Formats: sequence, C-alpha cells, structure tokens
Amino acid sequence: MSNKIYFLVLYVLNLIFTRVGKGENERNESDERKKEILIKIIDLYVVFAVFTALIQVAYMALVGSFPFNSFLSGVLSCIGTAVLAVCLRIQVNKENKEFKDLAPERAFADFVLCNLVLHLVIINFLG
Amino acid sequence: MAALESPQPGTTSAMRHAFGNVLSVLILVLIGVLAFSIRLFSVIKYESVIHEFDPYFNYRVTQFLSKNGIYEFWNWFDDRTWYPLGRVIGGTVYPGLTLTAGTIWWVLNSINIPLSVETVCVFTAPVFSAFASWATYLLTKEVKGSGAGLAAAALLAMVPSYISRSVAGSYDNEAVAIFALIYTFYLYIKTLNTGSLFYATLNAIAYFYMVCSWGGYTFIINLIPMHVLLCIVTGRYSPRLYIAYAPLVVLGTLLAALVPVVGFNAVLTSEHFASFLVFIIIHVVALVYYIKGILSPKMFKVAVTLVVSIGLVVCFLVVAILVALVASSPTGGWSGRSLSLLDPTYASKYIPIIASVSEHQPPTWPSYFMDINVLAFLVPAGIIACFSPLSDASSFVVLYIVMSVYFSGVMVRLMLVLAPAACIMSGIALSQAFDVFTGSIKYQLGGSSNSTDDAEDTSTSNAPKDDASASKTDKGEEIVKERSSKKGKKKEREPADKPSVKSKIKKKALVLPLEASIVALLLLIMLGAFYVIHCVWAAAEAYSAPSIVLTSQSRDGLHVFDDFRESYAWLSHNTDVDDKVASWWDYGYQTTAMANRTVIVDNNTWNNTHIATVGTAMSSPEKAAWEIFNSLDVKYVLVVFGGLIGYPSDDINKFLWMVRIGGGVFPHIKEADYLRDGQYRIDSEATPTMLNCLMYKLSYYRFVETDGKAYDRVRRTEIGKKNFKLTHFEEVFTSHHWMVRIYKLKPARNRIRGRSKKKTSSGSKSSKSAKKNPWV
Repeated sequence: MSNKIYFLVLYVLNLIFTRVGKGENERNESDERKKEILIKIIDLYVVFAVFTALIQVAYMALVGSFPFNSFLSGVLSCIGTAVLAVCLRIQVNKENKEFKDLAPERAFADFVLCNLVLHLVIINFLG
Repeated sequence: MAALESPQPGTTSAMRHAFGNVLSVLILVLIGVLAFSIRLFSVIKYESVIHEFDPYFNYRVTQFLSKNGIYEFWNWFDDRTWYPLGRVIGGTVYPGLTLTAGTIWWVLNSINIPLSVETVCVFTAPVFSAFASWATYLLTKEVKGSGAGLAAAALLAMVPSYISRSVAGSYDNEAVAIFALIYTFYLYIKTLNTGSLFYATLNAIAYFYMVCSWGGYTFIINLIPMHVLLCIVTGRYSPRLYIAYAPLVVLGTLLAALVPVVGFNAVLTSEHFASFLVFIIIHVVALVYYIKGILSPKMFKVAVTLVVSIGLVVCFLVVAILVALVASSPTGGWSGRSLSLLDPTYASKYIPIIASVSEHQPPTWPSYFMDINVLAFLVPAGIIACFSPLSDASSFVVLYIVMSVYFSGVMVRLMLVLAPAACIMSGIALSQAFDVFTGSIKYQLGGSSNSTDDAEDTSTSNAPKDDASASKTDKGEEIVKERSSKKGKKKEREPADKPSVKSKIKKKALVLPLEASIVALLLLIMLGAFYVIHCVWAAAEAYSAPSIVLTSQSRDGLHVFDDFRESYAWLSHNTDVDDKVASWWDYGYQTTAMANRTVIVDNNTWNNTHIATVGTAMSSPEKAAWEIFNSLDVKYVLVVFGGLIGYPSDDINKFLWMVRIGGGVFPHIKEADYLRDGQYRIDSEATPTMLNCLMYKLSYYRFVETDGKAYDRVRRTEIGKKNFKLTHFEEVFTSHHWMVRIYKLKPARNRIRGRSKKKTSSGSKSSKSAKKNPWV
C-alpha cells in the first residue's frame, strides 16, 4: 500500500513538472532564446525523469517489489517521458538537418499526444 | 513509380497524377473484394459454419461476450472444461479476436442490422484479409512505391498460405493477427521514413492490438530490435531510428503488460529481452553520437577510453547477474513453444504434446510450392531489387523475409508469417520488372529518346551524383557491410564512423530490345495467370473443407458425413447438463461449444499431466481405465473411429501419441508394449496389450457386425480381436457412419454378499509389469 502511495506521489510530481515545462514555453518572447531555453529545459526534464526512475528502482530494491505492476508502471512512466522528451528535443533542435521543415508546434503536439497515451496506459496499469 | 513531387495543378502531369490516384483507389477496392470473395468457397460449397477445432472455442467465448458483456468476460472462470481444474478464460485467452468480433456484432446490432454472432464470426476472417491486403499496399508503398504496393496487395489477397488460415469460417487468431502484423510493420516503416512521433504513437497502439490478438507478437518484438541493430551496425543510425524505436519499446512493453495473457511476462521472459538489450544499445549509440558532436576529437578519445573501461566492468557485472537469473530457470527463461522454434528438436525430446500437433511439424518442400506458389522464385528477384537502392525500409523487408523463411522451415504453421513477406518481395520484383519492360517499350517506340531517359532517371533516383564510380564503390561497401553484419558480428562497440550512406546512385536507363520486352511482359502476365489459377484451385479444393462436415464423391453422387454434429447434438439432448465427457483433447473445444457438456481436456493443452491421465486411461485395460475415469467423475467417453468409411484422422491413428504422452508422465505405460517388432498394428499380429486396451475395445466393439469380417478401411486389414464384450462400459450411441462412438461408464458393482474381495497392495493384477501401477 505504501509502495503504491509513493509511486503515485512520484508520478504526480512528474506530471506537475510537465505542466511547468509547458508553462515555460509560453513565457519567452524571442525565437532564438526560446529555442535555447526550451532545449535546456528538456535536458533538465530528462535528467529529472531518469533520476526519479533510479530512485524508484532503489526503493524497490529496499522494500521489495510486491505490487509489481505499480513498480513497473512507475519506472516505465519515468523512462517513457524521458524518451519522449528526447524525441521532442531531437525534433526541435536546430542542428538537426532532417527536421528542418518540421514546425516545433507540430513536434510539441505529437509529444503531448504520445504522453497522453502513455499516461492513460500508466493510470490503467498502476492498479 | 516512387513518390513524385506534387505537380502544378492543371498541367498534364497533374492530370496523370490524379488519374493514377483514382485508378489506385479503384484497384484497391477491387483487391479488397477479391480477397473477400476468394475465401467464400466453403460457405458456398457447404454452409456458413465454423470450421476445425480452435474456432469453436473462440466462437463460444464470443457468444459469452455478446451475452454477458465485457466485465463478465474479463473475469470469466470456465468450469465446463479441464474438469476438475477449470480454466481462467480472462487470463489465458488472447482477447483481440473475440473483442473485435464482439465489437462488430454490437455495432451492427445497434444500427439494427440483426446479424447473428455466428455470421459475424464466420465472416470476420475474410473482411480482415481485405484489410490486410490494403495494409500490405501501404507497407510496400513505403518501401518501394505505389506500383509495387498494388502488386503486393494483389498477391497477398490470393496467396494460398494466408487463405488456408482465413477462409470464411476459420475463426481463429490469425484472421486478425496477420492484419495487425502488417499494419504494425507499416507504421514502423512510416515512422522510420518520416521521423514523426505521431506515427510512433500509432505504431505502439497497433502493436498493442497485435499483442491482444496472437502469441506470434514475439516475432514483432524481436524482428524490430534486430532491424535496429542491423541499422546501427551498418552505419544507418539516424535520429529517426531513435524516434521509431525507443517510444515503441517503452509504450509497447507497457501495453503488452496490460494484456492479461502476457502480464508480467512482458518484462520477465527471454522473448522480450532482445528489445531491452537493443534499447540500451541505441541509447549508448545516441549518446556517443551526441557527445562526439560536442567534444573535440582528442577529448572524445579520452572520454571513450574512460567510459569504455568503466562500462565494461559494469557490463560484466550486469551480464553475470542476468546469466545467473536466466540459468536458474530450467528453460533459460523461454517458453516451451519459443524454445521449440529455436531448437527444432527440443519439442520431440521433451514436450510430446507440442511435437504431436501436426501444425508444428517442419514443412516439406512441396508445401512451399503449394502455399506460396510462384512467389517462391520471385522472392530472390525482390531481394535483389531491394538492394538497389538500399534504404532503411528495404533492409527491414529483407530481414523480415530472411527471418520468416527460417521460422517457416521450423514449423509449417509459420508459413503464414512468410506469406506477407513473400508477397511484398514479389510485388517489388514484379513492379520493377514491369517498370523496366514498359520503359524499354516506351523508349523503343517513342521517338524522343532523351526526354524519356531523363524522366526515368529523375523519377527513380533520389539525387543525382556526379561521380558514378564513387557511387558504385559506396554501393559495394554497403553490401559488404550488410554481409558482414549478417554473419553475426553484431556487438561492435564503436559505431560506424561513416555517416549513413543514403543511396545516391544514378540509375542508368536500362533499355532492352522491343521484341524481348514484349515477350517478357507477356510471360510475366502468364506467370500471374498461373498464380491466380493455382490460388483459386487451392482455395476451392484444398483449404475450404470445414473438417466438421466431410464429403466424398461416389458413383451415386455426393455423400455427406455429418457425424460430428449428429453426435454432439445427441450428447446435448440425451445427457444431463452436468455430465462429464472424456475424449482425446482434439475434440474438447467442439464438445463444449456444440454439445455444451463439461470436458476433461481440450485443445488448450496447458496441463500435460491431465492430458497424460486421459492418455493413460485410453491405453489401459478396461478395469484400470474405468478406475481412472471414475476418479475424474466422467460419465461418458467419446471416441472417433474412421474404420468404416476410411476417415484417416481417427483416434486409433492418434493412439500412439496417447501412449507417448501418457508414458511421459506415468512410466508403467511403455510404447514398446503396443508395437509388434516396432510396427504399429491392430490386426491378429498385434500385441495383447494393444488388443486389450480401452481405445481398441471402444473403437472396434461390435465392428464385426458391419460386414462380418471386421475389415478396417483405414488400416486396410482385418482387426485382431473381433468378438468381445465390454465389462465396464456400455455403448450408448454410434453415429450414422460409425465415426463417433459414445460409451457410458457402468456404475460400480455392488459388493458380493458373503465374499469380500481383499484388496492386494501391489498392482499384481495388471499383467504388464512388476512396477507399482498407481491406478489399480
């Protein structure tokens, strides 16, 4: 039970950070600065997500993996959002020649959609 | 016909473009209709009935779903089968097929089209085969262009191997699973080509549908990592590859874990480890590329040595732990079926049940020609066509066909997975061949040679390169890399230094003489005609038999044998609802679905010991068999006997498997006791064990009354013991052509007054062996 609560708390924190990331997007005016800060935010977000996943694994090693589905959904949600953030970064990064003609809004919309699907599955699996 | 840039509206090329699109759509609709109608032979020749054995189980589950709703279905515990163990249906069935058919039924009924569940079940497979051909069109279009796509779709609509598992009435998992397979591959290739996260999401959802539908989803989750590894090793790593693969692994694993059948197996069994391993590898590669972009070359070398040394240590530790975990489980973490795919001799040594299923045998050479016909020699041409130019997508289909050829060689049932790959390759080959021939004819006939030349060139190459020789060496190196990677050197730690070589080969206009082109075109069309004739014949004659109704042509017309349904109907009308019926596991699904009686074992074959119990009972003498069946509360025993009419798949022919499976668990049953000089006989030369066993007696009881000589038409000999009485069983039903015989267990005899039989401790009554017989 306590495992479930802990995983739930971490997951909610994760969600909040996503919203914060989205809020940052609207605040900056100039395009260049916006892009640079966006990339930095995405990097920070990835690091945070991986760090959260590692904490969850360490917690499981300490406490045991009883509601295994909760553990799995917690860890995979962190890794999943990290992976999706990396994909967003790839698509938004100016130095990537292949994605020159992809509008960053479209990239972000794809990112949000994929996150939605991911979190729907996570909530279902969290048990 | 590669993807053209959108032309100016109003010009002739725009008109041609639009006309081509309309023609494509029309052709696709016709292909769909063709795929649907070629599978209707069994409905026309027999009736709209469910075929075989497995579909009856799926039909019963769908009936339950439509009657009781989805919550009851998820939580259903079936006590009408595997008595007394029962079966958790919600957790052991792949729900995709039943949910699909249930949804279609519900949607149709809610818009007031009153189709029965049976009709929906019977016609699900042809409808989804039409979808599968459209998915093949999409997939091949991503690889080579819409011409190849149309050819591949047309081939898939008719290929006999796919028809065999998706005729109208064959309501089995493969009916929707093949569509899900091709569609998942299409979305993967589309994501790989476009690098869009939207298609990656759709890919994961399509993979989820595939996991819901069929156990063969492990093919996808192993093929895609293999392809990613291949791309990395051949220097084709690109950000699109990362976007195509990484979200699929995470989302896919989660979605696979959602399906109750798979559950935690999605992360715990060896079948999925390949995807995790490649997930880690692709992250390492991506990180290396990223760091290489940031650091200077010298710093990069220093960083590499540092990281490699630390990484190796960590790797050793992790691998050691993993190996210890894997080695601790007896099968190394693989399930029985997957292990029998990797080591084809595994099943025959350890799991007789898997080895006994005829679908799990390796195919013979003629079955390749029967099942994919002309495609068998178009595939190599397609493979070569995929190499010029080699792109990510075409390397994927090459890998797909190589893997599926290997697996189809292990198990004949997996010819089904080979069929789409063969169609894609043949479609590519046919389309390229047609391109060359029609191009030559146009060139020879059209006076303005130069313009046609340039048009052909720009439309078939990605970007013209000035140095033709350099491009040739590139192509040569690509092929060499391809070969070296395929030879198994997959674990290279340093990534390929060359950037991904996009195929920038300028194709010389290949022009053949006019007469040769015309003749070649005609021959290709004839080849297609032969293929169509063969497919229609195979669909009509070979694969449309419902196997629950048999027919034969005789002098006085068509003779129909409907014995199975007759006996199941007898069972459902003349026995109590709670009576248990014992038979060999083949008939379990049909008995529960049609006769609505509880059975002891059925086609799910999940419990080997239970099946071995039934097999032992069939191989024992009457008293011992009675004891076994009585301990299982069995009231009726059902055997299938083909001796009167010559039906070869009866229980006497399957009897040796019963002995083997029973002997695998109960050592007092020895196969050698039933064979005379290593030969299986039932005539006067048969062993006394054979002549006394229950299966013999139940099959041949009163057989001598049919023609006075008891001539068995399947074994082509007179039987050994002709006149005998049954002591512990009584015959209650024999069907019209003696195909199904049902016996009732006689109740236990009362004790004889004044004389009580002393029970002897060791089984000395059985004449077979001195070993303790647990059933006496």
